[in-house]
Amino acid sequence: MSLDAVAWDACVLEPQPVDPAMARYVRRELGTLPSSIAYFAPVPWVVRSMTAMSGLSAPRGHVPIQLVEVASLVVSQDNSCRYCYGIQRLMLRVFGVSEQHIQKLEQGLLDAEIDPYAKSGLDFARRLSRAAPIVSGADAAALRNTGWTNPAIAELAFQAAYDVFMNRLMTAAAIPYAPVERLGDMFGLRWIAPILRFSMQRKIRRGLARAVPLTPEQAAGPFAYVVRALGQVPAARALRETLDAAFASPVLSRRAKALIFAVIARGLDCPQANAEAARLAADAGISGAQLESILQHLGSPDLDPFEAALLPFARGTIRGRPQQIQQRTRPLRDALSPAQVVEAIGLAALANTVGRLGVVTQLG
Amino acid sequence: MTAAAWLAAALAVAALALAAAWVRARRAATRARNRLAAASAELERLEHAFARFAPMELVERVIASGVPTHGERKEVTVLFADLVGFTPLSERVDPSLLVEIVNGYFERMSAAIAAHQGHLSTLIGDGILALFGALETNPWQTDDAVRAALAMRAALAEYNAELAERGLPKLQLSVGLHRGGGIAGLVGSPELMQFTVVGTVVSLAARVQALTREHGVDVLLTGEVKRALDPRFQLRALPPTALKGFRDSVEIWALLEQTS
Repeated sequence: MSLDAVAWDACVLEPQPVDPAMARYVRRELGTLPSSIAYFAPVPWVVRSMTAMSGLSAPRGHVPIQLVEVASLVVSQDNSCRYCYGIQRLMLRVFGVSEQHIQKLEQGLLDAEIDPYAKSGLDFARRLSRAAPIVSGADAAALRNTGWTNPAIAELAFQAAYDVFMNRLMTAAAIPYAPVERLGDMFGLRWIAPILRFSMQRKIRRGLARAVPLTPEQAAGPFAYVVRALGQVPAARALRETLDAAFASPVLSRRAKALIFAVIARGLDCPQANAEAARLAADAGISGAQLESILQHLGSPDLDPFEAALLPFARGTIRGRPQQIQQRTRPLRDALSPAQVVEAIGLAALANTVGRLGVVTQLG
Repeated sequence: MTAAAWLAAALAVAALALAAAWVRARRAATRARNRLAAASAELERLEHAFARFAPMELVERVIASGVPTHGERKEVTVLFADLVGFTPLSERVDPSLLVEIVNGYFERMSAAIAAHQGHLSTLIGDGILALFGALETNPWQTDDAVRAALAMRAALAEYNAELAERGLPKLQLSVGLHRGGGIAGLVGSPELMQFTVVGTVVSLAARVQALTREHGVDVLLTGEVKRALDPRFQLRALPPTALKGFRDSVEIWALLEQTS
């Protein structure tokens, strides 16, 4: 599906100067400072998580790198995220995928040309992203029939969920896509691609060699069941650190954070995420009955004006076209400070990520 | 002529023949590529066209493995909308102008429905059947459907102002809402299929919509909708009404203008 016709509002955020230490970290991990980083600069954990959970920083060792990038393109296209789609086209060109092949991917015409392993993986990634309904153990079993191992399924699920994270960040904030949309077509890419590819592959190999798996104790914290189920893959540590940083951030209250996670878990209809969000809400002083009353109609006299503005926004990020999501983000600017808007977008993106990852607990 | 000259001439002829064959093959390949690109574009266009009538996931399933023969039981909220006095209007207005007016109406109504997570299932004459919660789990489907009805009311008021400026007659909306179980899936014949919900949930919504004129209101909803609805919506109770084809009388409520 071509994204040219997808409506995309004006950006909701203002770019800010990036902290030099953070800019150095991003450059070290990604090799560049993407244009989107400046928009999320007011909340360091959001910038750090965009980088730390990426395939360069937390390498996927069980899924072929080219398939990871193709899955990201498929998910970004399905979510109509024009920014991420531009980045993924560039990544595929760097990894040697021809323009003709990318066009076939876009048009869904590769079924006859790709092997059942790749096809089932791409279908799974798309279904995980759509969450209509959320993927389950049965979907994972179908993958095993085409040769996928459990660690590979866990990494593929994480990759698709990370793509949802990035798609929601860029879409909810309506980050301008013009700087990246045609990067894959830039002059001379053919000649520099092998150098970039070599450098990225070396970084991934080194990352995998240096990766230290989390101990069960280190996995503890919000959504520990997902982090533990991800097992030994480097992404588990990245997700743990992201969740911890998000919940430790002082920008929005723990209560507001718990409510955002609860709304998205309810909308995704994920029993584990629902239970975990209820636990987090209880820790933040919201009783089970209060939470139920709030979630039933996304409103309650118990909510303060900040929270009342956050809930419809959080709900809007679960599914929907970019313009619908962006129209729900815009009113946040009237109720919240710029940093709070960034954190709300980051939390909603993260809740959409962990809420879709329940499948990793059903791998057996 | 020497043997070497013959050999050179033969090689030149062979080279020319090879070059000609190469050019022909290249042209054939270009033509094939262009045909493939055109077919791809056509397929994409068709996929988009189908996606307006059925969920993308279903469209993909149909393309991959044919039309599914079974539906799925779902709890849905059904919105049935109609234009009051459309037949007399269609007799008064020039047909081409009527089509323009009705298309403008459908455009605004479908936008209001889509903005509240609804799926436009069917257009029947001037009628609209919209479904909430049929495509994916939606715990807020009833609130969404009622918000969509309010958005349709507001959109029509704006549209009527535009029509009045052009000296055209105003349109009057009539909406019925009901919530219940139904079978969601592709329904129809091999020649014409649509994604919809089958069950009394649809017919009851249509019957309730038909009661709006009798009660002099534009949006009516059933007791099942009221029980699932956010209590902050303001409603007015109307007497329970017996409906043709339904054994028990049906609780009905009028949706007021404001939500608190």
